[in-house]
Amino acid sequence: MASSYWDSTQRRFWTFTKQQLALERKKLEESERNLVNMYPLPDRRHLSIYFYHQLSKMARPLVIRQQALATAQIYVRRFYLKVEIRRTNPALVLATALYLACKMEECPQHIRMVLAEARHCLDTSFNDVSKIGECEFTLISEMNSQLIIHHPYRSLAELQTQFQLTQEENALAWSIINDHYLTDLPLLHAPHVIAITAMFLAVVLKPTQGGLQMHAAGVANALQTLGNARGGSAQGTQNRVQKLVDWLAESTVDIEAVVECTQELISLYEIWESYTDKTCKDQIAKFVKARGLDK
Amino acid sequence: MFTGYSTKKRVNERYKIVGFISSGTYGRVYKAEGKNGRVGEFAIKKFKPDKEGELQYSGISQSAIREMALCTELSHPNVVHTVEIILEDKCIFIVFEYAEHDLLQIIHHHNQPQRQAIPARTIKSILYQLLQGLVYLHRNWVMHRDLKPANIMVTSAGKVKIGDLGLARLFYKPLQSLFSGDKVVVTIWYRAPELLLGSRHYTPAVDLWAVGCIFAELLSLRPIFKGEEAKMDSKKTVPFQRNQMQKIVEIMGMPSKDRWPLLSAMPEYPQLTQLAAGNARLHRPQGLEVWYQNCLKNNQYPSGSGLDTPGPEGFSLLQQLLEYDPQKRLTAENALQHPYFAVHGKPSDNCFEDSKIKYPHRRVSQEDNDIRTSSLPGTKRSGLPDDSLIGRPAKRLKEG
Repeated sequence: MASSYWDSTQRRFWTFTKQQLALERKKLEESERNLVNMYPLPDRRHLSIYFYHQLSKMARPLVIRQQALATAQIYVRRFYLKVEIRRTNPALVLATALYLACKMEECPQHIRMVLAEARHCLDTSFNDVSKIGECEFTLISEMNSQLIIHHPYRSLAELQTQFQLTQEENALAWSIINDHYLTDLPLLHAPHVIAITAMFLAVVLKPTQGGLQMHAAGVANALQTLGNARGGSAQGTQNRVQKLVDWLAESTVDIEAVVECTQELISLYEIWESYTDKTCKDQIAKFVKARGLDK
Repeated sequence: MFTGYSTKKRVNERYKIVGFISSGTYGRVYKAEGKNGRVGEFAIKKFKPDKEGELQYSGISQSAIREMALCTELSHPNVVHTVEIILEDKCIFIVFEYAEHDLLQIIHHHNQPQRQAIPARTIKSILYQLLQGLVYLHRNWVMHRDLKPANIMVTSAGKVKIGDLGLARLFYKPLQSLFSGDKVVVTIWYRAPELLLGSRHYTPAVDLWAVGCIFAELLSLRPIFKGEEAKMDSKKTVPFQRNQMQKIVEIMGMPSKDRWPLLSAMPEYPQLTQLAAGNARLHRPQGLEVWYQNCLKNNQYPSGSGLDTPGPEGFSLLQQLLEYDPQKRLTAENALQHPYFAVHGKPSDNCFEDSKIKYPHRRVSQEDNDIRTSSLPGTKRSGLPDDSLIGRPAKRLKEG
């Protein structure tokens, strides 16, 4: 299994350093300078949250599994790394990404069902399956037919057995993985690094009765524990966490990467506080309407 | 994009179509030469739109999506190499490296004008390369699901390459049971017994049964289990492949619960017991060993052990590939470790090494070499039968 990720197109073509990613995006923005200036957009993570809500709305009535949803999110993220968002109708891209992801994840949906949900949930004006069919060509072409996605869920399932995570811990780790699709992490790190980060955070944070609410302060504490792993000494932490920290320190896992992922998640939870659906909706609608992209 | 999808690559700018090779349910395959600095020969598979002459985008079929994704992801010397994928004018073209031969054509050549055995060394090398490709696929969690002689390509340099991933699937954590996805899997003669008995959770072991059948066919020059396919009835229920199962039992004997503990849990198990009740011959099976010895005798392979005969090691390998219980069947990895491949030195990585036999070139017809138009005569289903309809893609040979 491991070998399949190391040789994968995901690792070879769709994993970047932060600098590379920033450079790619800068190039894209520069080439569309006027558009970018004319239509300011919210923080990328806010947009990702908005997209996720839109995708979930379509997915729910169709009973689409989480993994297909995650694949759709990755397709959207990859696509907007290649194509300036202000040149597209995001609603169409979302519907198409979901349609394509369902086929790839072996839970196919009829194109007409996806269209119907898109019209119903996303309030779109396109009314023809051929729109989705054509956008599918664009999506596949921009991704160079590299459609197989390795998700952290599988690594988490292995870790769960290895570390005997409780059901609550597992559920928390799972939801942290869900959250990481709202960030650039899937383009920056290998799925097993994400899974380890999620497991680590879940064990350190401990699911509380209040549910699975993640918050920045809690994650910051976790980060400190991780710092101890880097320093090689962890004192005053509980047994369970200690065991994990020891394992991390001894394993070949890149602790720096785990720290980076943790930080990325902290800032996601911080910025989440200021998220509003309406801002994203309005700002997207502005360029879509003005440029007639919904026709 | 919203002024329409525009392709970045055009088939006709990059390739010169030499002629037409074959067609199936998926579309058509053409032979091509590189153009504008691209050198070499290629096979281009063109997927036909869902409906012939489709003027609108209607969504790409799931199997085409699978094949595109897998072809892009996989890379191994024993798996047909994908050069590129071109999306142009509502059509999908997958460009593959070209292979001059395939196993069906090679077997055919040895049957005509009179039967002449395939050299034992050639068979060993073919099997060795085939299994290496299969190890790679299985390590990457890919089941081929449709291995048969027509899908195993051989280049003029004697390199064996697994082709046609049209039915292949990733088998880790499938979201849906693998059974529910497709109605028909694996050409019937190469179909594993657990599939015939209705197993819903089958495994990569189905590919190894197929390898066993292909091995047997290379040795005897005839399909070992040549059953007749039961067609789906009007209610679209998947029928029990009674005749195919019978062909297997006539040689292998009835599977037993001792050898195959989960046998009685198979959905079609009652059918199997019924099968036995009505047929006395099934209680006196030929036995694989007798089949094997007859085969060696008929094709004049020397008895005993040596370079020019598959020998007793060949039998042992065949027996372990054609094992009823999928859990006991050899894995691709273990098959490669079998003494058959070790006793007389490592097999050659050129299956034609030391062979004087000259195989004819792949037939390429000139009647249709415009890859861009899809409505020429012969592209319609009525023009040529689909592979699925005649049960065996021997059409390519019949055409000639």
